[in-house]
Amino acid sequence: MEVFASTYALPLLAALVLLPALAAVLSLAIPQKAFRNALVILTTVVMISASSFLAYAIVQAAGKFPIEISEHATETITWIIRGIDAIVLIYVIWRGIQSKRAVAPILAVIQIASLVCFELFFHITEPATPITLDYLSLVLILLASIIGPLILVFGIGYMDSHEEHLHLTKSRQPRFFAILFLFLGVMNALAMSDNILWMYTFWEVTTLCSFLLIGHDGTEISIKNAFRTLDLNMLGGVAFIWGIIAIYHAQSTILISDIVKLHIGPGLEWTFAVGIAMLCLAGFTKAAQFPFQSWLLGAMVAPTPVSALLHSSTMVKAGVFLIVRLSPVFASTLLGNVVAFAGGFTFLAASAIAISQSNGKRVLAYSTIANLGLIICCAGIGTQAALGAAILLIIFHAVSKGLLFLCIGTIEEKIGSRDIEDMQGLMKIMPYTTFITVFGMMSMLLPPFGVLMTKWLAIEASVYLPPVLLLIILGSAFTVVFWAKWIGIILTMSYKPSYPVEKLKPSMSFTLGALLAIVLAASFGFAPMYNTLIKPHLDSLQDISKSLVLQADPSGIYLNSNGFMSGEVMSSFLFGILFLLVLGVPYFFYRTRPETVKPPYFGGELANADIRGIDFIGPGDKVEQIIVHNYYMASIFGEGALTLWTSLIAGAIILVMFGVVL
Amino acid sequence: MDQPHRWRHHPGDVWGGALMEDLLHQITWPMLAIFAAIVVAPLLGGLLTGLDRKLTARMQGRFGPPILQPFFDFFKLIGKERITVNSTQMLYVLGSLFFAVTSLVMLALGHDLLMLVFVLAFSNISLIMGAMSVRSPFSKIGAQREIIQMMAYEPVILLMVVGIYLVTKSFLIQDIFTYGSPLLYKLPLVFAAFLYILTIKLRKSPFDFSTSHHGHQELIKGLTIEFSGVQLALIELTHWYETVLLLCLVALFFAQPIWVGIIIALVAFVLEIIIDNICARTTWKFMLQLTWSFGIGAAITNIVWLYLAMGR
Repeated sequence: MEVFASTYALPLLAALVLLPALAAVLSLAIPQKAFRNALVILTTVVMISASSFLAYAIVQAAGKFPIEISEHATETITWIIRGIDAIVLIYVIWRGIQSKRAVAPILAVIQIASLVCFELFFHITEPATPITLDYLSLVLILLASIIGPLILVFGIGYMDSHEEHLHLTKSRQPRFFAILFLFLGVMNALAMSDNILWMYTFWEVTTLCSFLLIGHDGTEISIKNAFRTLDLNMLGGVAFIWGIIAIYHAQSTILISDIVKLHIGPGLEWTFAVGIAMLCLAGFTKAAQFPFQSWLLGAMVAPTPVSALLHSSTMVKAGVFLIVRLSPVFASTLLGNVVAFAGGFTFLAASAIAISQSNGKRVLAYSTIANLGLIICCAGIGTQAALGAAILLIIFHAVSKGLLFLCIGTIEEKIGSRDIEDMQGLMKIMPYTTFITVFGMMSMLLPPFGVLMTKWLAIEASVYLPPVLLLIILGSAFTVVFWAKWIGIILTMSYKPSYPVEKLKPSMSFTLGALLAIVLAASFGFAPMYNTLIKPHLDSLQDISKSLVLQADPSGIYLNSNGFMSGEVMSSFLFGILFLLVLGVPYFFYRTRPETVKPPYFGGELANADIRGIDFIGPGDKVEQIIVHNYYMASIFGEGALTLWTSLIAGAIILVMFGVVL
Repeated sequence: MDQPHRWRHHPGDVWGGALMEDLLHQITWPMLAIFAAIVVAPLLGGLLTGLDRKLTARMQGRFGPPILQPFFDFFKLIGKERITVNSTQMLYVLGSLFFAVTSLVMLALGHDLLMLVFVLAFSNISLIMGAMSVRSPFSKIGAQREIIQMMAYEPVILLMVVGIYLVTKSFLIQDIFTYGSPLLYKLPLVFAAFLYILTIKLRKSPFDFSTSHHGHQELIKGLTIEFSGVQLALIELTHWYETVLLLCLVALFFAQPIWVGIIIALVAFVLEIIIDNICARTTWKFMLQLTWSFGIGAAITNIVWLYLAMGR
């Protein structure tokens, strides 16, 4: 196997990291549309194949896939990476000064100073294996290399209409696609880095990519939100580098695989725990946890593919990836419990505020923040079952949310609004997209789809942490509310439906269909996916509690506590049969005894001449239009009522997080 | 350590063991349980509804319909002309029915209680979707109110599941039966909270604002106003399943011996009818406040003391 690994390792790495980088350069160099489209499709094919092949290789190698690089090469790459870091930080300072903004440049200066001090005062020995691939990095690579390129394919069709709306004289798509390509390559590099300084550099590059993409349209609001992203994530960058320094001070290592072998407790210097807490803070900013949520909410001003990418497979997932990676270090310690509480709190707060939002993209954004909170919560609990839930939710959330953002983008382009209330009767205008959208939403909410399964797991895994448990329980009740309201609006049917053939650009309809297929495959392939990718990773971790163990096979999902089964979910295929029955029986009914379609009864108040069911006889016998809105309960759940207080509480929780390690 | 000691995990053992006794245990009992859940439960549910109508009538000084009236109504509705407001309504009605039946089957087989609660929630969501699919204000507002009701009672039900876990150390319903003593002794406040939300779940006054069995709702029939004929019959059937399921959950609190639990469940049902008839409808805001303060509060108090007692 060793031979296998060393033969294919470098070509695979090249395909996953260098190819996107090359594509980025080519996209800038050759601005012709046809060339760019071909480039996107080619890169998509290569990245999907390479990542699948890598998955095969890693599974064959039983999850141990260190890549040996000669000392000389390591040194060269280290200098290149230092160079990248310097460029990124100096660019941030330059942009900040140019736009007369203080926060980001100051934070960048602090980072440069910290880095220089670190390199000068500590004699760092460069590790021999700066790149290590394991199951967890594989999960992130698969997401970035499958979902990511598909979103780019969607962008081929979408960006044309987007630029039409903006009335651009010169297309800015070369720049747009170049940054997207770069983003994907950097995500892969970040997932592979075992040298934490390398990871830090790629972490900063993802921040920069987000900044450039969010500000892509160049409007006042997009520049403002781009800088907010930069400010908050630069803060995370400072926490990251300080965390590295603190950990190095305690343990003299910059290898992540060395760090995660340790477990916080007596016998380790206190700076180690502080360093870990710092890295968690960095993860919180990147994963847009309360009180740092505002950058992700602002990010939706960017074109749809950017939102889809930020929310699904890149950027925010880097934040939770780091925390899930570190989970064995703080599992079942006080720090772990506080991290779990912080994540759970964000889950609750974001789900609550989502109820009051009528802007579809904002609902999605809050839902993302909530799910990231749940992932962090599970990582904080850190038992076998909880960590399994965290990794599963990373996958399920990425596929479903990537799909949903693209759907909303498609809908917005057609109806010219992202307001939920404007989506009534959507089935009549765009049946294909509506169908997929509803499926995407159902996959966030219903059994047997993965997101619900992880919610089930999260509750069963957090049962010995009552405060965290309460947060998850209340949060999941809220989740049901905002999804149900939205799905209900979309599925509102007028009395005589017509099913026009929806005209959608091929690249867009292809991506939506492909992502829906992935969503379904992920949920119905729960057991094989868990058994090949996630369970081996959990088994390889020594320090986590295995009193509660998650098992899955085609007959269902099981939880065993100390050898006894304590929880189970029946096979997703039984649910599949149930869905088929729900769909099939009405059809059978319809064939045997057709129904007469009549306008709504509405208590007999409907205007006589109206068969569409939207006019009624109001006071004074006047014919009036029916307008019904959802309840948004803004006085209870509105941003005005909650944002300030929840952010303050979340800030306090972060202070507590540092308090318990000092 | 990895393989759990449960028969459902080893379907191969049915033939490996090849003993009649095993066969009875592994096939006959589950089949009987599924039969009871699918066939017996709705009959019971219909009878209970008949009882409800009779008792309610007596309390209101009327003679009331015969106990079997719900069944007569059901068959009458089945025979009605098939009218629909849109072509998707039937889908939601069946979704609601099938998932309610599934949750009852899960109960009969002693499955995971938490997943059961999720499946039951989906049954309810399906009905809400059906009501929202029609452009009718009464039905839409009814659906919104139903969502608020769900938001109110769902945490309490989930806390009940957690409370039961803390006692039995398992999420499986079958383990409630093998546990040594009745849950009620250790979960009195959780039980009280569950009885309280039962009123919301059964849509009884004072919490019957999404739809009501009484003919005095300001939304006319609210949630179900736009369903007719077979659809309405199936919704009624779903309600019967749901009633039986909820009463079974009440009975679970006293599973040793289970007949005491069943009596408790029946008493609870009669209590619900009495409450239904002596209370005036409140507002949803009041319900939300009450459920979240006292309902969740009571359940949490109980869970906190269980948790602290575990440490000893």
